[in-house]
Amino acid sequence: MEPLIQEIYTAVMEGKNTIVQEKVQASLAAGIPATSILNEGMIAAMTEVGRLFEDGEYFVPEMLISARAMQTGLVLLKPALKEVDFKSRGRVVIGTVKGDLHDIGKNLVAMMLEGAGFEIVDLGTDVTPEKFAAAIRENDPQIVAMSALLTTTMLSMESTVNFLKEAGVRDQVKIIVGGAPVTEDYARQIGADGFSRDASRAVALAKSLVVPN
Amino acid sequence: MQVSFTPEFATRVRKELNLGTDKIHNPHGGGNTYELERALGEDLLLTSVGWANSYYQDAKQYVDEWGIGWRSTEYNTSFGTGSYTEIVGHPLAEDSAITTYQAPNPDRPELYAEADWVLRTFKDEYFIVGVTVTTIFETAWALRGYERMLSDLALNPDLAEQILDIPYRYHLTAAKKLTQMGVDMIWTGDDVGAQNAMLISPKMWRYFFKPRMANFIAELKAINPQVKVAYHSDGNIYPIIPDLIEIGLDVLNPIQPASMDPARLKREYGDKLCFWGSVDEQHTLPFGSVADVRSEVLQRLQTIGKNGGLILGPTHHVQLDTPMDNFWTMVNGITQTSYAELEPGSS
Repeated sequence: MEPLIQEIYTAVMEGKNTIVQEKVQASLAAGIPATSILNEGMIAAMTEVGRLFEDGEYFVPEMLISARAMQTGLVLLKPALKEVDFKSRGRVVIGTVKGDLHDIGKNLVAMMLEGAGFEIVDLGTDVTPEKFAAAIRENDPQIVAMSALLTTTMLSMESTVNFLKEAGVRDQVKIIVGGAPVTEDYARQIGADGFSRDASRAVALAKSLVVPN
Repeated sequence: MQVSFTPEFATRVRKELNLGTDKIHNPHGGGNTYELERALGEDLLLTSVGWANSYYQDAKQYVDEWGIGWRSTEYNTSFGTGSYTEIVGHPLAEDSAITTYQAPNPDRPELYAEADWVLRTFKDEYFIVGVTVTTIFETAWALRGYERMLSDLALNPDLAEQILDIPYRYHLTAAKKLTQMGVDMIWTGDDVGAQNAMLISPKMWRYFFKPRMANFIAELKAINPQVKVAYHSDGNIYPIIPDLIEIGLDVLNPIQPASMDPARLKREYGDKLCFWGSVDEQHTLPFGSVADVRSEVLQRLQTIGKNGGLILGPTHHVQLDTPMDNFWTMVNGITQTSYAELEPGSS
């Protein structure tokens, strides 16, 4: 691996924002293609982060700082990626459902998906069904991802799915759900397309649901 | 038996029991009249001192005495609408705020007036619990911001420790005072477990939290060797249970069954720990049938409660989405099941 890219990879793994930014600038200045920096420096690192999390070696703090470091690098890469008309793996609209303000799980999923090459539209928390529908119309995503922490707010997932059906937009997207009280059974019951139990597995799920371009 | 409730659920139960209205129920125990707990036949009465009392205040928006900002958010269930209070403002978001921050004073006598009344009035008949939950991590992240605090633990341990020490010192002072006053147990804790694994690594817990909790327990037992100490964490904390035993823990709470198997905990640690909680609130209580609830209570009595060592009840405050039939089946199951019914072969 190109030494500068290796340094980016390591800095992402260690959550070192400043080094990531420095090395991304340096790589671009050295004429390394933005897509190589992205794929080999960042996506590869986040894939390894996901593996370490699933294996029980990385926990939330480690995943969080790696994802943040990756994001600071991605911001610098975006203009260069745009120039070469880079196509993301897919666009994901994500939010925590109505009545629920909890966001760390949702944020981790968003960061891991971004780290896998997806484009994220983050609606935040306490997102109404209307807002999810509007976001589908405005952004044309492939996936809609919903999060809830509580049994009392989880039910908004069902009402959101139903609302999207009535609004005539449900079939344009794949719907995935997650959160502590959510189960595979509940996902099936409400007509979602998939469930994953953590941010890392959400990446595999999302990949399986988009048609590669 | 021990059961706590969200304010809305407390109102529902009070109505059923014809207890009339009361001021807003504090699930952690501070400020309650205990009419409800006693009417149900609970064995433990909770009295709390510390940051946990900031939850469930009766206002749309407020700032507590630690400088933490709160917002009320509504949720709907088929049994009515409720509100949760959520943390939205963090006084230690900026690094520069940390060294000059002043925590509230834990020595104010008025903080202990309620515990004094509870002990004088109820000590002979009830097991009195001094509550100092949100002991270190919870209050710390409320002060700092959740993601910021988690990042600090990984990237800036010295700064993290400065922040952790703020609530640690406050709650230790409070717990020591409550112990001196004569409570039977001190309830401590922080949510360090997630649904399927720990939130932070066991290594990180051992670095930041184990020494503090070890000292916390030691100081309390130095005041009263008979005082019991309970530790609360949601989720899966299997890896650190031996550590908790090592530092002198008596009671593990709340035994979230979808994350940790109650029967397994009894097998592995039943000779060293008591358990508190274990009735599931992610599936059984809100969504199960009456038969499911009854069966779960029996199962707990036969396994994690075998030969005692169990304070039985729901894992968390009973939520508004719980059907009353399920609630009563749980309470009656706990208080009315005979030993004969627990024999293998009886239904």
